[in-house]
Amino acid sequence: MTFNSGQIWMKTIKQIFFIALIVLVAGFASNMLRSDKIPLVEDWSAKSNLVTSSGENLEISLAEASNLFKKGGGAFIDARSRAEYDAGHIKGAKSLPYKEADWKFVEAMDGISEDSALITYCDGETCELSMELAIFLRNTGYKNVKVLSNGWSVWKQNGLPVETGE
Amino acid sequence: MKEEIRQKISMSLYHGARIVLGIVFVYASYDKILHPAAFAKIIYNYRILPDELINLSALFLPWLELTIGSLLIIGVWLPGSVFISNILLIIFFCALMYNKARGLDISCGCFSTSLDDAPQSNLYILRDFGFIVISLYLFVKVFITNSAGIKSPFRRTP
Repeated sequence: MTFNSGQIWMKTIKQIFFIALIVLVAGFASNMLRSDKIPLVEDWSAKSNLVTSSGENLEISLAEASNLFKKGGGAFIDARSRAEYDAGHIKGAKSLPYKEADWKFVEAMDGISEDSALITYCDGETCELSMELAIFLRNTGYKNVKVLSNGWSVWKQNGLPVETGE
Repeated sequence: MKEEIRQKISMSLYHGARIVLGIVFVYASYDKILHPAAFAKIIYNYRILPDELINLSALFLPWLELTIGSLLIIGVWLPGSVFISNILLIIFFCALMYNKARGLDISCGCFSTSLDDAPQSNLYILRDFGFIVISLYLFVKVFITNSAGIKSPFRRTP
């Protein structure tokens, strides 16, 4: 015979209920009191990193990007550092590290017309270099600039063509 | 006599585990309670939760960690806090594994809300696994071998 079976589970459920109550009150109260409160529900899709201040979404899907690549219709621009580029990049991509964009720009973009489709990328979900570079390029006159989010990782994982070196 | 020593070691291990896990949870909650917006961004980067749940999680999860961490340290409401601790750690483990499997290199957001850390998913997973071991041990102690002095459904009457 088990000893008062279910008693500990009743106790557990009761305690979980009270813990939840404490957490609810503390969470709401702390958010009410703080100066930098956050909304309980927020539209994160609209807050995407890949939307410009004028509301234009620069994101390009991997499928679209690889299509462009196959057709040879777009130029890929690597926003990461030169060392990361040398260690491996999308085949045919040009290196234009965002941090050096101001003075490397003319050389890197040589021969790319302002009408061509550009796709910037960097590495990592939280990498913002590609978006920054895309905005930079748009300001210099390139109209058709897109961002491949987490580009290097997704490209590599999907077995699309890559190369190393300069 | 031997039995007594064995019991003592077992009890210190149990209380040690409880307090260590409690400190881990309290420590983990601190930075997130201070920076809910930054934590929300980290949750968003995991790309798991629907948008509607991101801010709510960012708001309440740290408080849940603080609450069960404190309860573990003080040593009250152990069935509830140990149960939640297991659930939380297993959810974290799944989230980390899932994002590692699909190659998302994201900030852990485990102990800090800073985005700049170079992500090391293997370390996060290993670390979380360690906590799960401690937490499961406490689960066995509390729910099965009845160390907290609570009547257990699994134990026979003497």
